[in-house]
Amino acid sequence: MKRILVLSLSVALALAWGLPALAAAPVKIGVLVPLTGIVANGGMEMKNGIDMAAKDKKTLLGRPIQLVVEDTQVKPAVAVSKAEKLVFQEKSVALIGVFSSGVGLALAKNIAKLNVPFLTTHVMTTAFYGLNPLVFRSGQLANDQTAVGNVKGILATPDLKKRKYYVLVHDYAWGHDAGKRFIALAKENGIKVVNPDFDKAPIATKNWSTYISKIKASGADGIYIALITDVIPRFMKQATEFGLMKTCRLVSGAAPGAMDLENSGPAGVGIFGASDYAWDLENFPGYQKKAKDWNARYFKMYKAIPCDAAAHSYVGAMNLFQAIEKAGSTDPQKIAAALKGMSYDGPYGKVWICPSDNCMRNDAVLTETKVAPKNPYGAKIYMKVLKVFKAAELGPPCK
Amino acid sequence: MNSTATAAPGGLIFRALRDNPRGKLILLGVFVFLVILPFILPNRFYVRLVNEIMIYALLAMSLDVLLGYTGLLSFMHNAYLGIGAYSTGLFLMHAWSGSVWLAMLAGVLCTMAVALPVGWVQVRTGGLAFALLTLAFGMMFFTVAWKWYPVTGGDDGLMGLPQPTLSLLGINLASSGNSTAMYLFTLGVVTVCFLFTWRVIHSPLGAVLEAIRENEERAAFVGINVRRYKLIGWMLACGLAGAAGSLYILYRGYTGPGVMGAFEGAGVLMMVLLGGMGSLWGPLVGAAIFIFMKDFLSSLTEDWEILVGIIVILLVLFLPRGVAGLPDLLRRTKAE
Amino acid sequence: MGWIATTVDIILNSLVLGGIFLIMGVGLNIIYGLNRVMNLAHGALYALGAYFGYTLVAVGANYFLALLLAPIVVGAVGLIIERVLISPMRKRHMIYTLILTYGLMFVIDGLIKLFWGQETRFIQLPEFMQHTVSVGPASYPVFRLVILIGIAAVVTALMLLLGRTRLGINMRAASSIPEMVSACGINVRRVQISAFVLGCILAGTAGMLAGPLFTVFALMGHDILISSFVVVVIGGLGSLRGAVLAALLVGFVQTLAEFFVTEMAMVMVYMLMALVLVFKPLGILGEGKFE
Repeated sequence: MKRILVLSLSVALALAWGLPALAAAPVKIGVLVPLTGIVANGGMEMKNGIDMAAKDKKTLLGRPIQLVVEDTQVKPAVAVSKAEKLVFQEKSVALIGVFSSGVGLALAKNIAKLNVPFLTTHVMTTAFYGLNPLVFRSGQLANDQTAVGNVKGILATPDLKKRKYYVLVHDYAWGHDAGKRFIALAKENGIKVVNPDFDKAPIATKNWSTYISKIKASGADGIYIALITDVIPRFMKQATEFGLMKTCRLVSGAAPGAMDLENSGPAGVGIFGASDYAWDLENFPGYQKKAKDWNARYFKMYKAIPCDAAAHSYVGAMNLFQAIEKAGSTDPQKIAAALKGMSYDGPYGKVWICPSDNCMRNDAVLTETKVAPKNPYGAKIYMKVLKVFKAAELGPPCK
Repeated sequence: MNSTATAAPGGLIFRALRDNPRGKLILLGVFVFLVILPFILPNRFYVRLVNEIMIYALLAMSLDVLLGYTGLLSFMHNAYLGIGAYSTGLFLMHAWSGSVWLAMLAGVLCTMAVALPVGWVQVRTGGLAFALLTLAFGMMFFTVAWKWYPVTGGDDGLMGLPQPTLSLLGINLASSGNSTAMYLFTLGVVTVCFLFTWRVIHSPLGAVLEAIRENEERAAFVGINVRRYKLIGWMLACGLAGAAGSLYILYRGYTGPGVMGAFEGAGVLMMVLLGGMGSLWGPLVGAAIFIFMKDFLSSLTEDWEILVGIIVILLVLFLPRGVAGLPDLLRRTKAE
Repeated sequence: MGWIATTVDIILNSLVLGGIFLIMGVGLNIIYGLNRVMNLAHGALYALGAYFGYTLVAVGANYFLALLLAPIVVGAVGLIIERVLISPMRKRHMIYTLILTYGLMFVIDGLIKLFWGQETRFIQLPEFMQHTVSVGPASYPVFRLVILIGIAAVVTALMLLLGRTRLGINMRAASSIPEMVSACGINVRRVQISAFVLGCILAGTAGMLAGPLFTVFALMGHDILISSFVVVVIGGLGSLRGAVLAALLVGFVQTLAEFFVTEMAMVMVYMLMALVLVFKPLGILGEGKFE
């Protein structure tokens, strides 16, 4: 009995202290993505993008990269608990990913305790500008950038410019922020909004018929939505059924989820909006080669249509990896210092993290969903690139 | 019912040890083990996980007071954890972040203040109606937390909570952000709550509650004011849930409406059943099993929900009285 | 568009929503009335019905054929569930089957994700149902009107089944005095099993009707489960007429609240539930009026 005790104790000690010293231990990166819940698809695309970046980069500081993936279930409390696991147990040197502004803000509040850099690829709320020295954004356009892109797009399109807009958002941090940003900018630029204290629908809403009746009754002939990506085609489908899309045009504050869009068929056609990336960029002068190469490799690796979520997750991960290399160590403060001003030239051009507010600036696309021409990815519906914005056009200026 | 002795926990332990030395020694052993646990665990994540388990153990135990001892079913007991958490959080944010004890007191009192009228209505109805009402009120509290954006932060939850200093008898110990300090604080509060509940359950009051559970009519017939005692049981359970809520927000530094949801409510019921109701300690074990299982499996595979479901089904099918019934079951199998 | 058109819209929307709640609620109550089981997996079975239907339509079946077949497959799944899981639990307290079906919900939801993936699915409808038609001054989707007819057909079929067939009469009798029915030489167990399967078929039907309405995705069963629970609680557990009444009531309240007080819509629904229960603790029609 005593011998067994001694034996097991020494095994435990060996496990605790001995093993890490044996081989060149991998550098662990904690990946927080939603794999269950309402945006599980988006989470999968984020995971793919980050995974692809890790495969491309191969090593960090001469050690292999190991991604440790945890499911946030899009619940803030779960995400914080998983972050603790990734940092305290797995010894991840940085956290990346995170969908939903609510989850991102909850995590940012806890970042001092976790004491690792956290780079989000998806949180869009403007509250992230200069939020915390350890918190960064390199991914999806922020709400103010999206709103600027959308308003510029609306003003440049005569058919959209003359319309009256009904604003409908998801009822949480991101939706509120996105709604306010758009309405403020619309006011400045003389775009008409029929409901200035916009509608906030619960995230769980499945039945959009009442909202559609409201839009009909309001007399609006344009709709501005800030709905979670996977939900957009679902909303479109119901709006089409009611004949609403015959009279209205739809402008979206987020790009529709690629797989959901693909499944929606013709009902998914006609979503107008600004976002980071669309695979159609491979047909756009100046971006052709890099975009085409990235699309082809992504499609080959994951057998999925290349999409914006994967693209900006890829670039965000690359920025983080480069910063770790530049820092020359896994010290959180050094990585954070290196992330400031870091940039990566990827499928949609240079993505640069502004050192004064820790958030990225990059070129972006204005797209409209259309029935796809013949393409190597087998996509039936695609986001056609109408225009490319330069980073400086979308702002905000980096001080 | 053998309890007429002092209310002091020390005396209680002494007496309990005398009554049932083996069972109580185990409990004492578990307590000592839990005290040294944060110093031997390999990393802080497990300290946090056990901390969360203890909080939910307290909630599950409080539900057991209702379900196992008073015979009342509450579908959404977690709603009262949520009320405790929100009110403690709001107190810290807007009133005073100087005293963690005052904040906890505010949380428990608020929870009980909300629970009192609800309980008053509920005890006027029968068993099934009582259960249905808990669902109705629970969903209502959930939606208030979920939709009252200016106060509760809506879906995003309470943000920007200060981290108060944990103190004892006027001596500041450490910030509630310190994992080990928070762990020991939680352990202390949960232990005191456990001993208090144990004392209550093994007092004449507990005997009355059990009499109501066994046969309400007979209890009424011998002159017990059934409604009043049911309400006392309800208030005790809700007060304890409120305390669990206060601990939850101190530990997590955040709360959202998610903790108050209907599915989470079923999860708490499950902890009680897995552990074995009517034993007070069973639900503590049930909470540990449920939370650890969920965390472990969800790291293992994306399809963790299937595994959680299968384990729940198997446990309900083959361990009808929960973990608390396990010693009995083993004894019987041995005898055969 | 005038206010009349909006009113017509709201009424029809309420009826469609209430109708889906109705089929779910009645299914829950049929199961509860005879088995004393609160089936938390009901929402998952609803989702399963929609996914079976989606697959049938995707391989080329007509929507109406799928509407008939998918619920039958769900019924078969229900039969297996009853035999393997519910049956051994018959003697135990209701909360055990509650937790059991809670676990079952996780399993079915998980299996759906495993087989069909996470992305939204759209059930392709026949050409004629993809348009709108004028209802008075409003233009309303043909498909939603077809659903209303479908709901009416289900309700009629149920009334005939319970009122005119031997099985239905046995069910109604067994729900109130099982000992008596058993004494008459009727196999009560078989009646109980049929009731469980019938409830599952109804869940599948609701799923197949709602699938093209709200689109098909892995979590579709969660909120509908809570709404159906609200319906049976308001109407009275085990009371079929209560469920019908409550379903329409909730459908109207939710739609009106969404229209007028948007953000607070669900608060209204739960307030309604609490209010009804405070005055009628066992629901509008009380417990167990199985008719």
